[in-house]
Amino acid sequence: MLSILVWAPILGALLISCLPQAIGAQRARQIALWIAGIVLLWTAYLASQFDLSTASLQFQETLPWIESLELSYQMGVDGLSMPLVIISSLLSWLAIFSSDRQINRPRLYYALLLVLSGAVAGAFLAQNLLLFFLFYEVELIPLYLMIAIWGGALRGYAAMKFLIYTAVSGALILAAFFGLALLSSSLTFDYDVLQNQTLPLATQVILLTTLLIGFGIKIPIVPLHTWLPDAHVQAPTPVSVLLAGVLLKLGTYGMLRFGLGLFPEAWKVAAPVIAAFAVISVLYGSFAAIAQTDMKKIVAYSSVGHMGYILLAAAAATPLSLVGAIAQMVSHGLISALLFLLVGVVYAKTGTRDINVLRGLLSPERGLPLIGSLMIVGAMASAGIPGMMGFIAEFIVYRSSFEVFPVQTLLCMVGTGLTAVYFLVLINKAFFGRLPDNLANLPQVRWRDRIPSVIVTVLIIFLGIQPSWIMRWSETTSIALVRNRLERNVTLTVAVPMPLELSLQPDLTLLPTLPDLQG
Amino acid sequence: MRFVRTAAFIFRPSILAAMVIAISPSTHPLAPIIDRLEQGGALLPDTPENVVEVVGILKSYGVVLGAYERNLNYIAEHQFLVLFPFFKYFDGEVTLRKLLKHWWHDRINYEFAEYCMKAMFWHGAHGLDIYLDSAEFRQRAGAAIQAKLRSNLVMGSLNRLLPEFLLEQVRMLCYYSALGQFWNVMSRMFLSLSDRYDCGEIQTIADVVDHVREGLVAAAANPITYAVTIAGQVYEIIPKSVGLTFLMDTAVPYVEAVFFRSFPFFGTVSYNAQAHQISPEQADFNYGALFADPLPIGGAGIPPTLLMQDMLHYIPPYLEAVYMKGARGQDDMRVKICLSFQKSMFCVTTAAMQGLAPYPFSTTDPEQQRANRAYLEQWMDRFLTSRLMQVN
Repeated sequence: MLSILVWAPILGALLISCLPQAIGAQRARQIALWIAGIVLLWTAYLASQFDLSTASLQFQETLPWIESLELSYQMGVDGLSMPLVIISSLLSWLAIFSSDRQINRPRLYYALLLVLSGAVAGAFLAQNLLLFFLFYEVELIPLYLMIAIWGGALRGYAAMKFLIYTAVSGALILAAFFGLALLSSSLTFDYDVLQNQTLPLATQVILLTTLLIGFGIKIPIVPLHTWLPDAHVQAPTPVSVLLAGVLLKLGTYGMLRFGLGLFPEAWKVAAPVIAAFAVISVLYGSFAAIAQTDMKKIVAYSSVGHMGYILLAAAAATPLSLVGAIAQMVSHGLISALLFLLVGVVYAKTGTRDINVLRGLLSPERGLPLIGSLMIVGAMASAGIPGMMGFIAEFIVYRSSFEVFPVQTLLCMVGTGLTAVYFLVLINKAFFGRLPDNLANLPQVRWRDRIPSVIVTVLIIFLGIQPSWIMRWSETTSIALVRNRLERNVTLTVAVPMPLELSLQPDLTLLPTLPDLQG
Repeated sequence: MRFVRTAAFIFRPSILAAMVIAISPSTHPLAPIIDRLEQGGALLPDTPENVVEVVGILKSYGVVLGAYERNLNYIAEHQFLVLFPFFKYFDGEVTLRKLLKHWWHDRINYEFAEYCMKAMFWHGAHGLDIYLDSAEFRQRAGAAIQAKLRSNLVMGSLNRLLPEFLLEQVRMLCYYSALGQFWNVMSRMFLSLSDRYDCGEIQTIADVVDHVREGLVAAAANPITYAVTIAGQVYEIIPKSVGLTFLMDTAVPYVEAVFFRSFPFFGTVSYNAQAHQISPEQADFNYGALFADPLPIGGAGIPPTLLMQDMLHYIPPYLEAVYMKGARGQDDMRVKICLSFQKSMFCVTTAAMQGLAPYPFSTTDPEQQRANRAYLEQWMDRFLTSRLMQVN
């Protein structure tokens, strides 16, 4: 069942590639939209069949592949990956929909988008470390090509930088996986087997550090972030949407799945350091965003900052903070996708993203009033205004992390305030005031330009009002991740201990009371 | 600057043949415009595109003005001292269907007519104001107020307590009526312009200016009167004997109040009130139609937008076709209407300028030409901050 999410897009990409050029150029977009739509519907069906009461992997598929390498085709989904798969399917469809209809080399473009979509889904679903690595690496190829071919003026530089950084990331992750498999003497890459490894703490710390640097590049954590603003600025809008909305989440997902999941003892040791880097990322990202004049760079640095919240929640590693981390992944995925979509429309219509050039875009007749209004909604959501998804995620992150890392949490909360600063600067400069005469004849904004942003905005508001629709996927899994640490007889001084009997009947309503259990 | 008000105020026909200007060229920043006017041209350049825009928009404006003037006259005559006039925009026809349409807002925005009336009331109409401050007005209005409040003890007591309150209301109703009568003439004038255009009689901007000027000349001496009927008895509040006339007591003050001064509404001009960009001096107000910024800055629902929205319903097909060729098609229709409307108002202003000039622009007498030059330069001083250069 899960393989459809991976192979349907890849087969679709093959189909588009094999079409004759004359037909393919016209039909590539429709085919890609249909396939992404089918994948989205299939994801919705899987979500409807997902058992919320169990933390174990569901819809599992296992096929032996290269046994000599211990590489098996193991797929499964749990509460950690399900929300991300949903977001990935949704944003893939929206990315295809929001792509320029007149794009050059459409067959290659849409084929690469589908490959990217399949590879990301594969990475989220893989339950074999090597299989994860394969998908993690495969995803680099279409992304590199899309930035290099359809990017902005400095696309070559940005694409190469992205490739080098993420290739190093992949190498470090592979090294950590090999190290784990070899040192644990199990000689397997199966996740469920490796979960029970009993390596010495020092070895675990070394492996976890390697893994964290690898995933830290992908997230990205400051100071490993420098590839991201360049990649975002040069990438076409749909790629930025996928990059911020989904691909960065591979880093945080990998960190939780493989870092916290495989090295729980070492995690306890590394947690304060991770929390410190979270603070650095949040504050650096926010201050850097304030200093930018390119709208895309502002959103890109905003991403660096907001990914820091996930890092903070992951470091705290309490059941509630893990729910918060996953919620923040979804929230950031939607909000950053919205902001990049909107910046894309602004750029397509005005030809610039410079907030010192843009002005008065909220002008009701000749500006971009709906796009501007949605930008304000996006900024509010990003700044954690109640009633939207951003508030729910950030509130849970802060509420849960404060018990464990109070100082770091307070410093991260400053980042939320700074979010309001840089987005208000952006909105004030680009959208308020009188539309200058050189922008008074902008091309018409059609509904097809607005639809992707409207869909995402509706979701952001809906999930802000009804957050349990996104929280419920991850409650059980989050508790199980923490329980795994307890069962391994770890004395938790960092994370919040949780009685096993509570974890057997997971209920989010219990979670806010968890800190009380400490007393 | 005030409108030039000569005792021997006469509208003169323009002479469009090439004029001989004996005096040296003007050094005013708007000298090219002065030169064009002295040659019998208009403030707006004469191009086929401008003719289509001006005539098309004035047709739509004529329809809207017709609705405005009917409502203003209805309020003046039938909503006399109705202090809670819930249905004043219904012209006496209160039905559920009309109420629903009113709430749905796909209707004529009569509020705009009231804003114009209030602009006139605020900035004043010289002759009308003199009468409204006279003893005769107090006596006539007082009689009507007494008749209206005869069976209303509460309001009667209130009137005795605050005797100026209802009197001021009646003054305002006089302005309702005066503007209604002015627009009645203008509405018919603009619609006949459109008819003449359809017949091929109007082909240039000069034709448009001539048509407007002749319309103003024809109605110049029309008396402005106001009477209300209370309990079957007619009360003349502005009798014909006062001598108020169409041109001097409505048209000229209207141009001053609505074309030039108006109010600082957002969307009319962009300003920052906190930075004292709004002068407290009423005489410094330059927020009228000739100064309005066609690019509103988020002020949906403010008066200029209301007028454009009303005109949108009556744009003739040939003008709509022109608008649809723009980059934004239907999206910025109201901005395009505003741009065309400003062009048309510059034509109306040209007609007024020609009529009010001390001497015909066709004069060959250097002294008269100098007087005309000074007159035009005074006008141009006022146009310096207007949208004149943008429409040229």
